Amino acid sequence: MSHLELTHIRKAFGAAVVVEAFNLAVTQGEFISFLGPSGCGKTTTLRMIAGFELPTAGTITIDGKDLTNTPPNKRNVGMVFQSYALFPNMTVAHNVGYGLKITNKSKADIMQRVHEMLALIQMEEFAQRYPFQLSGGQQQRVALARALAIRPQLLLLDEPLSALDAKIRLELRQEIRRIQRQLGLTTIYVTHDQEEALSLSDRIVVMSKGKIEQVGTPTEIYNAPATEFVARFVGHINLLPVTVLNPDDGLVSLGRQTLRAGRFGKLNGRPVQLAVRPEEINLGAKPSANTLSGEVESVTYLGSIVRIGLRIEQHPLSLDVFNEHTLKLPCISETLAIHFPVDACWLMEKSD
Amino acid sequence: MKAQSINWWAIFWIVLAALYFLLPMYGTLDFSLRMERDTISLKAYAIVFADPRFWQGFRYSTLMALITIVVSIILFVPTVYWMYLKVPQARPIMEIITILPFVIPTIVYVFGLIRTFSRPPLQLTLQAFTTDMLIVAGYVVISMPFMFRAIDVGMRALDVRTLTEAAQSLGSNWFQVLVYVIVPNLRVAILSGALISFATVMGELILASFLVRPALAPYMALLGLTKAYEPAALAIISYALTWFSLGLLQLVSQGGTTRQLTGR
Repeated sequence: MSHLELTHIRKAFGAAVVVEAFNLAVTQGEFISFLGPSGCGKTTTLRMIAGFELPTAGTITIDGKDLTNTPPNKRNVGMVFQSYALFPNMTVAHNVGYGLKITNKSKADIMQRVHEMLALIQMEEFAQRYPFQLSGGQQQRVALARALAIRPQLLLLDEPLSALDAKIRLELRQEIRRIQRQLGLTTIYVTHDQEEALSLSDRIVVMSKGKIEQVGTPTEIYNAPATEFVARFVGHINLLPVTVLNPDDGLVSLGRQTLRAGRFGKLNGRPVQLAVRPEEINLGAKPSANTLSGEVESVTYLGSIVRIGLRIEQHPLSLDVFNEHTLKLPCISETLAIHFPVDACWLMEKSD
Repeated sequence: MKAQSINWWAIFWIVLAALYFLLPMYGTLDFSLRMERDTISLKAYAIVFADPRFWQGFRYSTLMALITIVVSIILFVPTVYWMYLKVPQARPIMEIITILPFVIPTIVYVFGLIRTFSRPPLQLTLQAFTTDMLIVAGYVVISMPFMFRAIDVGMRALDVRTLTEAAQSLGSNWFQVLVYVIVPNLRVAILSGALISFATVMGELILASFLVRPALAPYMALLGLTKAYEPAALAIISYALTWFSLGLLQLVSQGGTTRQLTGR
């Protein structure tokens, strides 16, 4: 049985529908990310799980118990906010122990649990500090400890790393995952950062305009995006408008050049496009692979990789090459041959 | 680089303003000390302090001020909190309502109170206790602009919504959120509102004299009509009281820094 279940969730604010037809079953201990651009409904969905918003329709159950209309303070769900939301009037220890104090736990129990939690986030020596005496990263770790102290059945994180700088973000990301694995805690993580979602999650829920676009493991989401939106939103992708020559073996044409798609569904005559990730494309021609030629438009140096922009039959295409010391960069306007394996590309319907 | 020259005009205006404020005060102080011919003495003060009506007025006003403060806090903290959380769009309306005591003259307000509450069925002015209830209600309204603004400013410095949600997710009900999270973070705001309200009530004349209650301000006014030196002494005493309140305010404001208040 799934641990958390959201069934036919719909949320509307007046005439504006923010979340629609949202169905998701989460198993115990799973790390799920809600990924999408701002305004896609991911935070609203999280807030409905926390109980801060009530769904217009649908049900939310945890361990089979219907919590759809339960107030947030009765759900036993830990929440971490983007703005940390530590209580400014309390020390770190009092912040962490707050949830236990509310439930009338004994002083000794509270002290012991606070100690455990501060040890978990490796901040024991900060117990008597006030939030304003901590850095952003430290505040967020305390917020995490505070949410975990109540032994929640579910941990919700609402863009917890967005307000932090890049280096701290990376450290804290790993720490969140370590702690989550250690405690085996079912976790929902809201983010607009695809790298965060890909690196942390067991499964990712990609959302757009209030609807689920795709649910899958990071590999599925990246390697086999179900929709054009997912393909474009997660990672970088080339989408080339092609004409189907043979619907049975995936033979297509791009202008005068012929290509073969590795994966293709039922082609029903609608306009299709060939999808291929930039890192799958190599320089030079290769007879056994899809080979194309085009004119170099841009060469962008990105450190470990170099992104080359081409124009092929009037369509842009970019490819990434590793910045090895032997690499000879092409010149602008040079005509270049490139190739990519047949099974690295697939056909997708063009979305409206 | 040229050293910054002293701005003599600024000093001139500061000195002028200081004289404007301080000279009359010095005059009052000097006068209050000259009750006995050719010598400086505290006799006027001794007379004031020996007058049981002074102490009665002082006790009464202090008590009314304290009750006013408690009622104001109970009334305004949850109201402003609810406004921030649930109906932020009502803020302009609240602003206008709370500024009304500044716009409507107190005398008009008092006549309104008396006309409404001293006739049947309520007849609150028949007994001292019910009159005191009426007077506290009046003081709450008169000190409302100060109290509301103080709490409003304090609340604005907090991320009320997120703090509330954080506390709720940790198991708190509304009452616990208010008592453990919101009020402690409004400590400075509430205290400053309370002290200004205190000073306002201690010096309030019209409400107390029209409702015929033994407050401090009517006693001061009465003394001013019949005595010479004692009102001057009383004026100095009430100055001292106000300054004591302001000093206290300064002291508590230093207790919490802005960073501690906002958590940023």
